[in-house]
Amino acid sequence: MKRILLLLFLLPFINGTLIAYNDPTAKEIIQKADEKMRGESNIATIKMTIIRPTWEREMTLKSWAKGTEYSLTLVTAPARDKGTAFLKREKEIWNWQPTIDRTIKMPPSMMMQSWMGSDFTNDDLVRESSIVTDYEHELLGTETLEDRACYKIKMIPKPDAPVVWGEIIIWVSKDEYLQLKSEFYDEDGYLVQTIYGKQVKEMGGRVIPSVLEVVPADEEGHKTRLEYLSLDFNEPIQPSFFSIQNMKRVK
Amino acid sequence: MLFKMAWRNIWRNRRRTFITAASILFAVLFASFMDSLQRGAWDNMINNVVNYYFGYVQVHQDGYWEEQSIDKAFPLADSLEQVSAVEGVEAVLPRLESFALAAAGETTSGVLVAGILPNVENKMTDLENRLVEGEYLTEGDEAVLVASGVAEKLGLSLGDTLVLISQGYRGVNAAGKYPIKGIAKFGSPDLNKQMVYLPLPAAQYFYGAPGLATSLALKLGGQEDIKPVVAALRTQLDTSAYEVMDWEELLPDLVQARELDTAGNVIVYFILYMIIAFGIFGTILMMSKEREYEFGVLISIGLQRWQLALSVWVEVILLGVLGALFGILLSMPIVYYFKVNPIRFGGEMASSLEKFGFEPIFPATFDMQIFMTQALYVFILTAVLALYPIFKIRKLQPVQAMRG
Repeated sequence: MKRILLLLFLLPFINGTLIAYNDPTAKEIIQKADEKMRGESNIATIKMTIIRPTWEREMTLKSWAKGTEYSLTLVTAPARDKGTAFLKREKEIWNWQPTIDRTIKMPPSMMMQSWMGSDFTNDDLVRESSIVTDYEHELLGTETLEDRACYKIKMIPKPDAPVVWGEIIIWVSKDEYLQLKSEFYDEDGYLVQTIYGKQVKEMGGRVIPSVLEVVPADEEGHKTRLEYLSLDFNEPIQPSFFSIQNMKRVK
Repeated sequence: MLFKMAWRNIWRNRRRTFITAASILFAVLFASFMDSLQRGAWDNMINNVVNYYFGYVQVHQDGYWEEQSIDKAFPLADSLEQVSAVEGVEAVLPRLESFALAAAGETTSGVLVAGILPNVENKMTDLENRLVEGEYLTEGDEAVLVASGVAEKLGLSLGDTLVLISQGYRGVNAAGKYPIKGIAKFGSPDLNKQMVYLPLPAAQYFYGAPGLATSLALKLGGQEDIKPVVAALRTQLDTSAYEVMDWEELLPDLVQARELDTAGNVIVYFILYMIIAFGIFGTILMMSKEREYEFGVLISIGLQRWQLALSVWVEVILLGVLGALFGILLSMPIVYYFKVNPIRFGGEMASSLEKFGFEPIFPATFDMQIFMTQALYVFILTAVLALYPIFKIRKLQPVQAMRG
């Protein structure tokens, strides 16, 4: 009798270890998915298309990133915006406007504003927050998305994280750790936007979604599409590359 | 017969007639004068505000005025010709307007950047004459004309560089730097703190809106052209794409201020009419008292009371017509004089009015309708007061009246 009671008492723990043994934890999944898109460093050329009910606009960008600390994004087309650059160094974000010869340090209050008129915010672009360290992760279960078995994970930001979302639900494929879909909710639990990862293919030696689409929840017909034209991982970039001086002359 | 009697009665006692008619005349004169002056002051104020910037009528893309976003800009070429062709439109001022952050050194300030065609703009708003320093813009310039308040706040002077940052058409990045070519001073503190003018082509490039404008301000011959022009535009333009607004719709605040002021004046008018009424009543009272003996005799020798009452009423009415008529005739030159030579404020009152961008003058409006309406009011007042002798006659005791 005593033994049975002990067994009953221990059962949940045993059960728990068993699950942990079969599947990676939610945090590990996110970590792998994040690492996959980011690499040690990456260099990308991107075509961004802003889609609105009555018009569309295209821009091309080039971006350099090293870890979560450093990133640099340069607008290469259209001509009127060419040379505009955004630099992230640790917690600071700088914007270079060649038309006015000015470097602007962007205040945190601007993080949630639209980036160059798209559905991306400045925060999306420079990712001040990290999906690995700034959130508590919880595995909700598995679901199939685009014929891929996915982990469905709920992420709740830590109290002191520089994050505006109330909650993010993310679908990560089991096979390649692809971020196929993320739903962003505000503090009141309303869906704000969804990001889809599409057209999975091999780029820079990794299988990744080559197209990201941001769809705001409350605006019909609005969409912003990011298409990776090229993507290279783990090319060595010195931290000194990410300097204000370099932001002004990078091509 | 009764009318003849009334007519003769009027001229029987000329002094009495003169006093009564004069009180009516002055009533008409005062009321018209006050009304003309008050309306004139408002017309002048509206002219000022409208000509400073807004124009009597504006055309925008539908929904622009409600939510003033540069994304609601429209192609200029299509609309401009159509609007200029309308009769009564003297000039069409295309503008591309949006807010921007202006910076110089470490200071920044929110400004309204208006892309204008310098020559056309000058026709209505007389912008060139508001310059206090520098030169006026030309269409091909890559330079700005700023209000003196903006220059002061940013610590800029002529020839310095003004940096503008904003979000342009469809969210494009708008940033540019321009030398200051001219500094203009506006009476209205609102305009003076935030106006920055760019030539239209430069503004279109800055906002990434080639060939577009956010509004067309129309210069008209005068206020009387507003209604026909608005009506014509609404039939000729595609109203699902464009909105046509007159200044009353553009500036509801101003209309409300005028209404409030007019409502306040109703009390003043009421008091004025009370005074006028008592003045006229006094003369009528005096007349009926004076003629009690006469009325008594007339009734004694067999004149019907209603006949007598009617003849006296006609008498007063005739006086009323006479007084009102001469009142109008006398008001006209006086009001006209104050239209041509407006009342001009001096001293502190003048400077405080100028601060708000208004000329410190109160011209009168010369409008026949004002005279007619005021004369009519006074006449109706007289006609009602003329009922008093009728009651008096009805209750008249001929014997007592003759003894009195």
